[in-house]
Amino acid sequence: MQFRKKLITSLIIGSGVVTTHGTAFANDNTELEQLRALVQELDQKIRVLDRKQEIATEEAAAKKKETPVVKASEKGFSLESADGKNVIKLRGLLQADHRHYSEGSNDVRNRSRVRAGELDQNGFADSGDTSLLRRVRPTIEGKVLDKYAFRFTPEFAGGSASAVDAYVDANLDPAFNLRAGKFKSFVGLERLQSGGDIKFIERSYVTNAILPNRDLGLAVYGSLLGSKLDYAFGVVNGVADGGNISTGAEFNDEREYTARLFTTPFKDQDSALAGLGFGIGATWTDFRGEQNLNWTDTSSADPTRNGLPSYVSEGQNTFFRYGANAIANGERFRWSPQANYYNGSFGLLAEYARVDQDVSLTERNPGGTTTQVQLNDLAGTKKKLSHDAWEVAASWLLTGEDASFKGVKPKRDFDLDNGGWGAWELVGRYSRIDLDEDTFKNRLGQYAGENRTAPNTINSAYADATLSAEAAKTWTLGVNWYLNQNAKIALNYLHTSFDGGDIVDGQTTVDAAGNRIKDRPDEEAVFARFQVAF
Amino acid sequence: MKPSTILRSLLAAVALAAPLGALAADVTLLNVSYDPTRELYVDFNKSFADYWKKKTGDNVTVKQSHGGAGKQARAVIDGLEADVVTLTLAYDIDAIHEKAKLIPKDWQKRLPHNSSPYTSTIVLLVRKGNPKGIKDWNDLIKPGVGVITPNPKTSGGARWNYLAAYAYALKQNGNDDAKAKEFVQKLYKNVLVLDSGARGSTTTFVERGIGDVFISWENEAFLALKELGPDKFEIVVPSVSILAEPPVTIVDKVVDKRKTRAVAQAYLEYLYSDEGQEIAGKNYYRPIKPEIAAKYEKQFPKVNLITIDEIFGGWQKAQKTHFADGGVFDQIYAK
Repeated sequence: MQFRKKLITSLIIGSGVVTTHGTAFANDNTELEQLRALVQELDQKIRVLDRKQEIATEEAAAKKKETPVVKASEKGFSLESADGKNVIKLRGLLQADHRHYSEGSNDVRNRSRVRAGELDQNGFADSGDTSLLRRVRPTIEGKVLDKYAFRFTPEFAGGSASAVDAYVDANLDPAFNLRAGKFKSFVGLERLQSGGDIKFIERSYVTNAILPNRDLGLAVYGSLLGSKLDYAFGVVNGVADGGNISTGAEFNDEREYTARLFTTPFKDQDSALAGLGFGIGATWTDFRGEQNLNWTDTSSADPTRNGLPSYVSEGQNTFFRYGANAIANGERFRWSPQANYYNGSFGLLAEYARVDQDVSLTERNPGGTTTQVQLNDLAGTKKKLSHDAWEVAASWLLTGEDASFKGVKPKRDFDLDNGGWGAWELVGRYSRIDLDEDTFKNRLGQYAGENRTAPNTINSAYADATLSAEAAKTWTLGVNWYLNQNAKIALNYLHTSFDGGDIVDGQTTVDAAGNRIKDRPDEEAVFARFQVAF
Repeated sequence: MKPSTILRSLLAAVALAAPLGALAADVTLLNVSYDPTRELYVDFNKSFADYWKKKTGDNVTVKQSHGGAGKQARAVIDGLEADVVTLTLAYDIDAIHEKAKLIPKDWQKRLPHNSSPYTSTIVLLVRKGNPKGIKDWNDLIKPGVGVITPNPKTSGGARWNYLAAYAYALKQNGNDDAKAKEFVQKLYKNVLVLDSGARGSTTTFVERGIGDVFISWENEAFLALKELGPDKFEIVVPSVSILAEPPVTIVDKVVDKRKTRAVAQAYLEYLYSDEGQEIAGKNYYRPIKPEIAAKYEKQFPKVNLITIDEIFGGWQKAQKTHFADGGVFDQIYAK
């Protein structure tokens, strides 16, 4: 019985165990297969997602190589190709000035009395306070194919539009570049500083009086010796001292040749002299100007056609003008040693310029009319006149930024909420111009007037010392407030004294010894400027 | 000795010395090609450089650019200075004439066999053991089958793939375009990743292990077997496939500007030489020269091949109907 029970029990148990294990095994296999299939499916899905991400990354990288880049920053607005070889930039300079004169007067002899208002007996008008737009210059510049650059800057200030800069560059190598068009002459150091970066509201006599502004022609320039030596040579139309050439045709067939070398020998060295730069610029030409026949009517006169300049003070008042029958006749040679130095917050710029100009007096041929004139040189009146100017200008950034030839980037922008006051700079300059005393003497060595009423007088001087000053000396003190990299407020106090340029009271003409000449009244002015540049 | 004799001897000496004194020129060519031809042109360029050096003494370096054929053609149109193009299909080279006028209209007649020095076809590459039992095109539309093929909008090879599948569907359905369109729609629904070029699809299938079947250039399929071993993949020959005739041409405006016409012309003609045909065969392209083709006959499976002209009326028509914006492919494929 017990054996049977055990046998039946064993059989029951055994069949139950066998049956349970077989079903479980079969179920396990199915589940395993299902799990395996699920894992494989999930594995494929993950691989697919990974691969799609990989492809998307590759496509994004490839697209980035072709996508143009649009930039908008404190340096302006630009659009450039993905490889950076083609770029077009929009920049701008806007200067709103106010000029206040405590003392000063302007030689407006070339203006009609009705137009100029009240004049004294010599044709001078008191300087009037004024607000003006000094520079309104949008700039479009850029490059194509990495090596060919262009720049176009129109000027809208002054009541009419003109082209300030319009040139193309071939930047073939840092050591060799070609420029053609209208551009700043590669001569003076202060001139080459951008109009938005200059430390003073107006440039000095060196730059505004003697050396050329912009000219039309061709230049070769480059940097050598690890950018420690800059050179430039140009062949241009030629402009009068301080002149800005128009973009029209040249009136004589002579070219002016320019050259400049400037070195920064200690650049990149750990030395107190690292910020020192010095060099020399020069121009030479040989040409004959035309007489300015219609000098009483400014609407038709072209004062530059006699090839001679007029000079303005740093307060922008004309204080020197050649006589009506003076004419450039022969060589004009300018040379200008120049230097700058920057060390920490301190900056210094010093420049000298001299011009040697051959001039003559001319006469209208007898019987000639204003429209049919032959200009004959008056015998014995050809002379070389030498004028020179120099300046020393210093600056100090009170807020600790580093001084440089280029603009100032404040350490902290002006932002009252965050306690930022921008950058503050003190500036001071002494600048003077001295004209050759022979300018005011005739061929006999006597002081003489320019004789406006009888221009065929052989014994006229080239300029009248009772109307034009022989020297101008200006002190300028100022403060610049850089609100940020783009906005600046400037304040300048200017005081100019003159040698000559006026006549002793009660006298009408200068005597041969020059005894009736007295100094023109001082000029005292305060200039203010609000500038935005990008 | 007479002076005239001395003079003649001197002249002869100069004439003999001149070749020795002449300097070997260095020439560079750019060959803009489609995706899978990288290995072919590595071998071919080396062979051509040796040949040209022996023939002319000049050193020629051939730079290669590879990518989806459509993209490559557009790059040339947009200014990439290719001396020669060796692309997937005539339509892409026609575009170089139509859009950029860099080659003449009759470019295809300038070299033998419609400027196609080798042919190829489309096969199906599957995992070893063919776990999904792929035998023909209709297996590619079954649920759960992952298909790998490149994007016909960018890849010339992908267009051959699409047309081969479409041609099969036409044959199965009595030339019914609606049913063929339905077939390719189902096929592209099973496409897991759409690479821009054939080589990208090879990477996806072979290296990334994605998909069950890769619609592949024949040479790519053989390359996969050769590189990774026959124990990983199998080639399935479909019941019908398309005769692909990748054409070649010099780019006239470029070779004239770069003064490389002579060497570029010789480069393409070398593809038709015995050496060029051998290199094609070794790289799993079907040679067109009968004696070389016979040598490689056993290497290539027998395939029932249709041509684009007989089924689709030529490339211009096929491109316009299927691959232009708004064409059949755009209609059936949702991104």
